[in-house]
Amino acid sequence: MRILIADDEALSRRMLEKALERAGYEVTSVENGKQALEHLCKPDGPRLALLDWVMPELDGPGVCRAVRTRSEQTYIYMVLLTSKGSKEETVLGLESGADDYLTKPFNAEELRARLRVGERILLLEDRLVEARENMRFRATHDPLTSLLNRGAIMDLLGRELHRSQREQKSTAILLGDVDHFKRVNDTLGHVVGDEVLGEIANRLLASVRSYDFVGRYGGEEFLVVLNGCDPPYAPGRAEAIRKSVSNRPIQTAKGALALTMSFGVLLSADWGPRPVEELLHEVDIALYQAKDAGRDCLRMAKPDAKTEAPQAALPQPARRAR
Amino acid sequence: MTSREVDLHEPAWNQAELLDRVDNDRELVRELLAIFKEDFPRTIGSLEAAVSSGDLKNSGSLSHTLKGMLSNLGGARAAAAAASLEDVACAGEIAALRGAYDALEREAGRLLPELDAYMAEVRR
Repeated sequence: MRILIADDEALSRRMLEKALERAGYEVTSVENGKQALEHLCKPDGPRLALLDWVMPELDGPGVCRAVRTRSEQTYIYMVLLTSKGSKEETVLGLESGADDYLTKPFNAEELRARLRVGERILLLEDRLVEARENMRFRATHDPLTSLLNRGAIMDLLGRELHRSQREQKSTAILLGDVDHFKRVNDTLGHVVGDEVLGEIANRLLASVRSYDFVGRYGGEEFLVVLNGCDPPYAPGRAEAIRKSVSNRPIQTAKGALALTMSFGVLLSADWGPRPVEELLHEVDIALYQAKDAGRDCLRMAKPDAKTEAPQAALPQPARRAR
Repeated sequence: MTSREVDLHEPAWNQAELLDRVDNDRELVRELLAIFKEDFPRTIGSLEAAVSSGDLKNSGSLSHTLKGMLSNLGGARAAAAAASLEDVACAGEIAALRGAYDALEREAGRLLPELDAYMAEVRR
């Protein structure tokens, strides 16, 4: 494990280095508080630190206070090491954000034992962070495909629409549905159906840029959000995404399946500021039109098209054949 | 009264205590003594100049540095004398500064020959 030693006195620094190297630590030594802070604030900096109290530039408690003001980074376990010894000073040191306090002259064995306490705390923190990240992933991702789930993709879409409006750019919303997916489930079983959904998720993800979003919107429905998508390029990009599914069969445990998808596509620039739900309703209607046109194609949702095909005349999405 | 007691029963240099603290690493003790022999004269020289000019701030910080250095090395008596000088400087007792410095110099005068003797012995 990496550890930082900050001490302006060469003799003390050497003693610490030796004691810690002997215990297997990877040691970095600096001579003042400012250098210590620079090391500790690096994204991959040491997470254990031994800080002398009295140092040039910035003292040990000053380093502790500065480290604790950063909330976004991982926890750093800091031990103040000093020849100061009164209760008031101990309290002051701990209240500056230090986790422990060791008085000089230190005993190497005691020092290592105290650092092992620090390692246990850091390990505990790592486990908590990992558990939190797992929970966050589960709360925002679909367990079958590992894509963003409906709630997460809706949130991201809402944010992207605000951003594109603010930056006067266009976001493309693609709502895709696997054609005749019910037949796969009915004839080959749900396990094969799940395999198909997993592979389609992979292909959709592979066909977009790293900063676009793909989510599982419903059973066999997928929502793709293309950020900063220039309107003239949107149909071509949507077509490429659609073809990523239809251009080669999907291998399953029961053989290769030639499957297609239909897409409704909407460009936020065409519609202006509208609630997310309204835009999703419009793109859903466009998806229906693609289905109605024979599937394996896409249809653009255009505001002027609404006057030609009034919404009231369209079947409700829930009742349409997929 | 801010000066601290120097324990007269304490040896000038507690070699056993130092060895215990450094896992009996005699090579490291030699290395530490070499560092001390280089840093101590410079630091005490600066301290003497600060005391002579009545510079309380530097007298305090330099005696603090010496206190740490000496206690790390097992020179508890000299470290206690440095602590007394630090207390005197921090309390602003400018009149007591020289006396406290002299006490430190006396203790250092007892410690240094012991360190030299050890170095000479291990060189043999």
